[in-house]
Amino acid sequence: MDFLKSNTVPTIDFVSKMRRAIYVSIALLIIALGSLIYHGGPDWGVEFTGGTEIHIKLANEVSIQDITKTLDSTGYPPEVVQQLGLSGDHEYLIRFSPETVKFEQIQGFQSELEKIIATNETFKGGSIQRVDYIGPRVGGELIRKAVISILLGCIGILIYVMIRFEFGFAMGAVIALVHDTIITLGAISIMDKEFTLALVAALLTVIGYSVNDTIIIFDRIRENMKKNSKLGIKDVVNLGVNLTLKRTVLTSITVFLVLIPLFLFGGSVIHDFAFTLIVGAIIGTYSSIFIASAFVVFWRQRKG
Amino acid sequence: MRASRGWIATILIVTTLSLILLAPTFLGDSTPSWWGKLFPDRGIRLGLDLRGGIFLLIGVDSETGVKQELNSIKDFMNEELKDDKVLIKGFTINEETLTLMFFSESDLAKAKAIGETNFSEISNIDADNLSLDFTLKGVYVSDVEERAIDQVKQVIENRVAELGLVEPSIQKAGDDRILIQVPGASEKDRQRIIDIIKRSAVLEFKIVEATGPTEEVVLAALDASSPEDLAAKGYTIHPGDTGFENENFFVTTEKANVTGESLSGARITFDEQGRPAVSFTFKGEGASKFGVLTEENIGRALAIVLDGTIKSAPVVQERITSQGRITGNYTTQEAKDLALVLRSGALPVPVEIEQERTVGPSLGKESIEKGQTSMIIGGILVIIFMIFFYRLQGVVADIALLLNMLFIMGFLSAFGVTLTLPGIAGLVLTLGMAVDGNIIIFERIKEEIATGKSPLAAIDAGYGRSLWTVLDANITTLITALILFWFGTGPIKGFAATLSIGIISTVFSNVVVARVITNLIYEDKKVPALSI
Repeated sequence: MDFLKSNTVPTIDFVSKMRRAIYVSIALLIIALGSLIYHGGPDWGVEFTGGTEIHIKLANEVSIQDITKTLDSTGYPPEVVQQLGLSGDHEYLIRFSPETVKFEQIQGFQSELEKIIATNETFKGGSIQRVDYIGPRVGGELIRKAVISILLGCIGILIYVMIRFEFGFAMGAVIALVHDTIITLGAISIMDKEFTLALVAALLTVIGYSVNDTIIIFDRIRENMKKNSKLGIKDVVNLGVNLTLKRTVLTSITVFLVLIPLFLFGGSVIHDFAFTLIVGAIIGTYSSIFIASAFVVFWRQRKG
Repeated sequence: MRASRGWIATILIVTTLSLILLAPTFLGDSTPSWWGKLFPDRGIRLGLDLRGGIFLLIGVDSETGVKQELNSIKDFMNEELKDDKVLIKGFTINEETLTLMFFSESDLAKAKAIGETNFSEISNIDADNLSLDFTLKGVYVSDVEERAIDQVKQVIENRVAELGLVEPSIQKAGDDRILIQVPGASEKDRQRIIDIIKRSAVLEFKIVEATGPTEEVVLAALDASSPEDLAAKGYTIHPGDTGFENENFFVTTEKANVTGESLSGARITFDEQGRPAVSFTFKGEGASKFGVLTEENIGRALAIVLDGTIKSAPVVQERITSQGRITGNYTTQEAKDLALVLRSGALPVPVEIEQERTVGPSLGKESIEKGQTSMIIGGILVIIFMIFFYRLQGVVADIALLLNMLFIMGFLSAFGVTLTLPGIAGLVLTLGMAVDGNIIIFERIKEEIATGKSPLAAIDAGYGRSLWTVLDANITTLITALILFWFGTGPIKGFAATLSIGIISTVFSNVVVARVITNLIYEDKKVPALSI
């Protein structure tokens, strides 16, 4: 990390490593898609599927199986039970299908649950933090809107980068963006996290971050294309990435300086959000260099 | 860009503005009363996830509004055709179309003429095969739907306002939903709020034709074999909830003689036995209609129908014009709430609760504390890092960063953006990324120094060459944020707004604020070297 302090520009040959990086990316994409297929798509939260969701905080560590078993025996079989936040928080998210708990029953169900918490050994000392009921009509619409806004975002970015740069750059940026979105989604799926509206927001932030990073490198590549017109595309891309490397590392440091406290101390609800951003920031930085820039090399070479 | 007076003034104005906009956030209840007269007196709104309380998303059934509209066309045609001695054979209502059927071509022609004089502006009218179709025009349908949601919102606003809760917020969400947020509402308030909101509160007054303990008895009284047969005769059957065993069912005319629309007030009173009841008064035309109704029906029972159920059916003793009373098995609270919903008017169309969220106050408090702690830790780390890395320029970047945060918070409160948990997290990320622009610029300045440029020339070149990099990078993010704002609802919209404001403010802080401060430091001085 000496180069951070000195003013010499590093001369790492990124382009020659891009082929290997593409294999890594393909492997990551396969894992991500595999997990998504295995889990039957993202684990849509209650905001998308409808149903009832209860967020409880317990006094002691209790296993998810125990919670499920206890609730089963009280006649309210949960659809999903998840640990929320860090294990020391003892916070859990319990989801019930719309069939198990209907809207009219929520009041009764909630007091029933309070009774269970007060008396049952498993739940002793716990408290209900939040109760959400979402009707069936809202859900599908939200998924549609989330997908449309991500697609439109991609198109908007494609058009802007096409106007400001050229088509090859625009495609590179969008391919990197799709790459980041799928891998981050995969990470959420592998970690068995519920895909909530907040995570949609986090995913969109990741897209913004990834594109931001890509554009800064592109800008430098383009500048050097004009300045050193004799250099081949590989050298121009290498120079661009190396010239912006210090900035890439420094910005990643400041971003992690805020994300890590958020991940560790932000509380259970922010925790998953921060997790998504951390994964996304790492993937986003990597893809700007190895996917977006690699595509520019590929595009230019193909064009001859 | 020099440290011109224009830019310095701009920065000072934006800073002052942000402080003014933010003051209520920090002063809270101790904001002086004159403040609200001069400046906005609302600070940053905290979302329910941060404050605890109740969140309800209400779906408005605007289709019913369209049906009602078609029904009123039918009623109007019926009245008009009666004068011409024309009978309507039957009718159907299908989505946006009303079909009236007739016995003869001449009847159809008469009806068509009346229909065209009265409804051609709002509907397309087609005559075919002894039937007449009224299809509402698209513009009119959206007009009806919009009116329905506006009325529902108004009614709900009136009802919630009377509950005396702190700061309830009622907004339209999309074309057919209403979002209600009641911060700080307790579990105890919950059911009551839902009941009061959902209540249709349609009050009707109808003359009783028959009453009895079972459906069969009342049907027999009118020689009807089934409720459908009864409906064909123009009567309808209502369940009774009067507290008398022999009044479980009532038969009345289908159309109400007088409705609750002409009520001018309703309040809780007590009946002769000291039980809670609701007294109401009529206004204007309603009073005279009620007067006629009671005068013509002295000695008969007058049913008070609330949302389809007969609450009481007193025998009319004399002509009454302005006063009435609903008795029943009410607790004081129920009677109070009934008076409240009657005062605020009936819901024009049914509503349905589509989403409900109750957040315990402890979660909100804990979230805020944790969010704040992690934000402060992150902020301090970034500030230290920048000074460690860029020395004096790091301090400049830090000042720009702090002002940036101030601007963002100020404008969040100006635009009434609701700050939610993801919003806070978005803000923290902005904090981490805010220095990015400065890093790009500072690195560029360093490069320029390395090529042998003088400090001032290096600053100029660094800022000049980085400007479009910073803009390009941020505009692309802004595009995603704006699309998100356009499409998103609820928390996503808030997040997008926070992000958009954050991006604009960050670019301003990076390229204007930091530049002006840098120029103030180095301008007019012979600088041997930059502290960077």
